[in-house]
Amino acid sequence: MAQLEVKDLSLSYPGSRSGSTFLALDKVNVSIEKGEFVTIVGPSGCGKSTLLMLVAALLRPTSGAVQLNQKDVTKPGPDRALVFQDFALLPWRTVIKNVELGLELKKVPSAQRRKEALKYLDMVELGKFCNHYPHQLSGGMRQRVGIARALSVDPEVLLMDEPFGALDAQIRQVMGLELLRIWERERKTIIFVTHDIDEAVYLGDRVLVMSASPGRVIQEVKISLPRPRDLSLRNKAEFTAYRETIWNLLEKQVQANGAWRQDSALS
Amino acid sequence: MHRSLLAHRLAPLIVGLLSVSLFLLIWEIAGSTETVRSELVSYPTQILSAFKRLILSGELAQNTLISLREFGEGFAAAIVIGIACGVAFALSRTIRYLFEPIFVALYTAPIIVFVPVLVVWFGIGTTSKSIAVFLSAFIPIAINTTTGIEEISESWVRALRAFGASRTQIIFKAMLPGAIPSIMAGIRLAIGRGIVVLIAGEMYVSMSGIGRLISIYSVAPDGVPEIFVLVAVVATFGYVCVLLFSLIESGLTPWRSHS
Amino acid sequence: MIFEGAYKRNERLLLGALGLLIFAVFWESVVRLGYLNPITASSPSRIAQAFASQWHNGAILKNSRIFLFELTVGFTLAFIVGVTLGIAMGVNRLVEYAADPFVWLIYASPTIAFYPLLMIWIGFGSATVITVTFLLTFVSIVVNTMAGVHAAEPQMIRVLKVFGGKPIDIILKVIIPASLPLMLAGVRIGLSRAFLGVILGEMFSSNAGFGYDIAYYAGQLQTATVFVSIIILIVIGTIINLLFTAVEARLFAWKAR
Repeated sequence: MAQLEVKDLSLSYPGSRSGSTFLALDKVNVSIEKGEFVTIVGPSGCGKSTLLMLVAALLRPTSGAVQLNQKDVTKPGPDRALVFQDFALLPWRTVIKNVELGLELKKVPSAQRRKEALKYLDMVELGKFCNHYPHQLSGGMRQRVGIARALSVDPEVLLMDEPFGALDAQIRQVMGLELLRIWERERKTIIFVTHDIDEAVYLGDRVLVMSASPGRVIQEVKISLPRPRDLSLRNKAEFTAYRETIWNLLEKQVQANGAWRQDSALS
Repeated sequence: MHRSLLAHRLAPLIVGLLSVSLFLLIWEIAGSTETVRSELVSYPTQILSAFKRLILSGELAQNTLISLREFGEGFAAAIVIGIACGVAFALSRTIRYLFEPIFVALYTAPIIVFVPVLVVWFGIGTTSKSIAVFLSAFIPIAINTTTGIEEISESWVRALRAFGASRTQIIFKAMLPGAIPSIMAGIRLAIGRGIVVLIAGEMYVSMSGIGRLISIYSVAPDGVPEIFVLVAVVATFGYVCVLLFSLIESGLTPWRSHS
Repeated sequence: MIFEGAYKRNERLLLGALGLLIFAVFWESVVRLGYLNPITASSPSRIAQAFASQWHNGAILKNSRIFLFELTVGFTLAFIVGVTLGIAMGVNRLVEYAADPFVWLIYASPTIAFYPLLMIWIGFGSATVITVTFLLTFVSIVVNTMAGVHAAEPQMIRVLKVFGGKPIDIILKVIIPASLPLMLAGVRIGLSRAFLGVILGEMFSSNAGFGYDIAYYAGQLQTATVFVSIIILIVIGTIINLLFTAVEARLFAWKAR
């Protein structure tokens, strides 16, 4: 049985014109095994982040359901820890206090909280910075804190919403490598949303390619590249082939979208 | 969707109006039926007729004019001298540090404490009140002028200097226009401070003015409704002042987007 | 060279002291040279004499006690009510919409003009002083606390929800810390308004305290004694401001400068 099951999930908003509705997600079905690393790519506005918010239960679906271990997900909880694109650290808390946040809410006693938090801070190599405030850290370091915070509550699934989207190119690559290293060790189930095809192929066991308006999963691409992976993989022919495949899927998307926009502008 | 949008916009108005009218209604009933002693709390319709009386007797217009004049004189001087001081402080650190303790002292103590002394020096007439308004208003204007100028982007000044602007030109073409929003914020602060000290000063000792009327009616046996009217007049005056200066601000700074 | 360095470090203090000194010398000499009436104008030396006699007859200590008592009680009440109402208004729309007109009414209306009413309702003395101090102070705390709550970023609240936080956790761990800077700015404004409230109260509706003494001695044309009270008020105000700045600096170490 799959660990996480997304069944016929739809979400619609009231549209800009009266009476119209906007379909953000249309009957999305995904099933994810324990320990799997799934990446989601798609053009902007395809609802990939929305899908993540629904799994986190920060949004409610119009129809369909999200099931974790065969149980319906109804409210947010630490079993599905989210890593935010903008890091979302609490600025008035030190690094270690930020990591402790989830444990605090789980009512873990303070001594143990500190120990756990330090363990994960060491894992992301920020042990030395535990008493700094977020504004004293670089973007990459802040996101490591975000990852440590999410891992510290020992979630079943780690949800990552374009976690490296706010970082520059070199840091992104380093962070990707590091995430893989942590994942090899912890073997958490990860759902990773990105708009970067390279990142999706490089990190994932499986890439879900989504289309926009309505948001749908149009294809699943299984990535059979050997693990552990490193940066040299990006020059291999298989890697390029996967990238090619996904790009072709998305390119049609983007063009179709552009054409559709023109149509609506003319009408 | 549309219904909820409507509700979203109107809800504050409706709930606010409801709570205010409920309050007025309870007040009216409690006062007019003597459930509570009306000579102490009055009630809305009684206050309205007091308003009519004050207008018809000419008392209100006459005293309002006097208060307006006192306020106008003091405030005009505060704007001119306040901005001049602010510019001087922004340009020279030495001048600023020399005057700092005196400024801090005047800003720390409520200016009302100086009113009795001002009355000793300048008499119980309008002059002492105008000076009190000036003293309480010019400091926030000066402080905000200085901070406003200091927060101006260095590149504006550099750009003007690159085109060979003189010191005076830099002050009038970059510093003052750039500091307008901050100066206006200072003026808004100053309005409140000026009105408080004006009314308190007139209440302390004077021959005429709204504050004088308030103290007369506060010792009159049935002056409570009149006091409510006068409080409302003062509040309206403050509101109109703030509105006026907001309009002036949008007129002076057409480049900013006003929401 | 050494002196230059020491001067540069303390320029602000030294120039400030110099400014005060020039001001005092100017005042003293104008009076001594007979340009102003020494009784009504008073002078630094006369103020010093008045200070000594006020100190010896115990008026300064007594007035300070009264002043600090009224300020503390009025301000503390205002703080408790202001923060509670401000958070309630910030968190709950209905409370906000219902209370808003009243808060703005008190905020915008010249509280000073309510003095006669309060005197009629409450009577003469400390109770009225404290009530006015409360009224003047609590609105600025309410308004700023509410603004602070609104300034809490939705993303921070989302973080708490993601990690399973309940509404009370959201209030304690996000809304209060996030609103603290604006709340404290409101407290600072509130403090200066409380200062005003106590003085006004003592001047108009009490028979003791600095405010009362200022009005009383001015009536006796003893300007020097009036200035003693004014100067002590300025000193008290400055000390409170400095303490407040120190507290703020400690609380907001997390802020980027």
